[in-house]
Amino acid sequence: MERNAFDVRLPDLGEVDEVRVVQWLQGIGSTVTEGEDLLEVETEKTTFVVPAPASGRLVEIAAVEGAAIQRGAVLGRIDRSE
Amino acid sequence: MAGSTVPNRRAVHLPLGRADYGWTLDLQRTLHARRKAGAAPDVVITVEHNPVITLGRSGSREHLLASPGELKREGIEVLEVERGGDVTYHGPGQLVVYPIVDLRGHGRDVRRFVRGLEEATIATLADLGIEAGRREGYPGVWVSDRKIAAIGVYVSGWVTRHGLALNVAVNPVHFAMIRPCGLSVEAVSICDLLGRTVDLDRVRDALLERLAERFGWVMEATSLDEVLGGASG
Repeated sequence: MERNAFDVRLPDLGEVDEVRVVQWLQGIGSTVTEGEDLLEVETEKTTFVVPAPASGRLVEIAAVEGAAIQRGAVLGRIDRSE
Repeated sequence: MAGSTVPNRRAVHLPLGRADYGWTLDLQRTLHARRKAGAAPDVVITVEHNPVITLGRSGSREHLLASPGELKREGIEVLEVERGGDVTYHGPGQLVVYPIVDLRGHGRDVRRFVRGLEEATIATLADLGIEAGRREGYPGVWVSDRKIAAIGVYVSGWVTRHGLALNVAVNPVHFAMIRPCGLSVEAVSICDLLGRTVDLDRVRDALLERLAERFGWVMEATSLDEVLGGASG
């Protein structure tokens, strides 16, 4: 399991250091495809959709809705073993 | 330091004239999907909406100051939308600009993109003799403590939609019906500040020029048929 766990991280958005999680577009247990819209984060009236970094099953949500997160922070985890 | 870039990227301008908010949102989504797939160049839509109040994700109906009866009498629609932010009014006399832009061609920098929109607007206003600026932490363009342009952007697959709304000559009665973005700020139009009428199309063309400067675009006009039909994009 561990070997196939893949971290979902906040991408480098340029000069943006902190964002707030607006909502997850996929729930725990959902099967996601690499590049698919995964969650929305917001910074100063800009909503950014974070894509799934890998295909697999969303097994963990580390940053809940409303949480303030920093650049590079782990937002969740995708299990690629299936 | 967003100095002028050498224009080297093709972009198209799609002037819609007057159109409903909902219809334009569908069009934005279509063009957004095509841009994401690489089937269209950067597109800048310009439009004047029929009267509408939109509530963003964090929007509260408490910031709607008019009664349903008053809204109906004025012909104002109320819609809940996907963008961030609170309450916004769009209507005649307001120049709305929706850039459908792939930020991978613009340094993958969300903040810089928003600042580019703000700076292009500020430069356009300066040419009209209006001193406007940005306010740290409050996106949009301001003339002292009054808001002249609202900004709200949505980015998916590094491609943008939504954009900016610049008040050229907006009905002040309609503005009084909301508390913009939930703040107790007043909105203001270019015409109110100058005390004379200003042609919206002229402001549009001036703003497009400033946007092209900021984003390094060589801009040409396109039509709905062309942008939706052209297989080569």
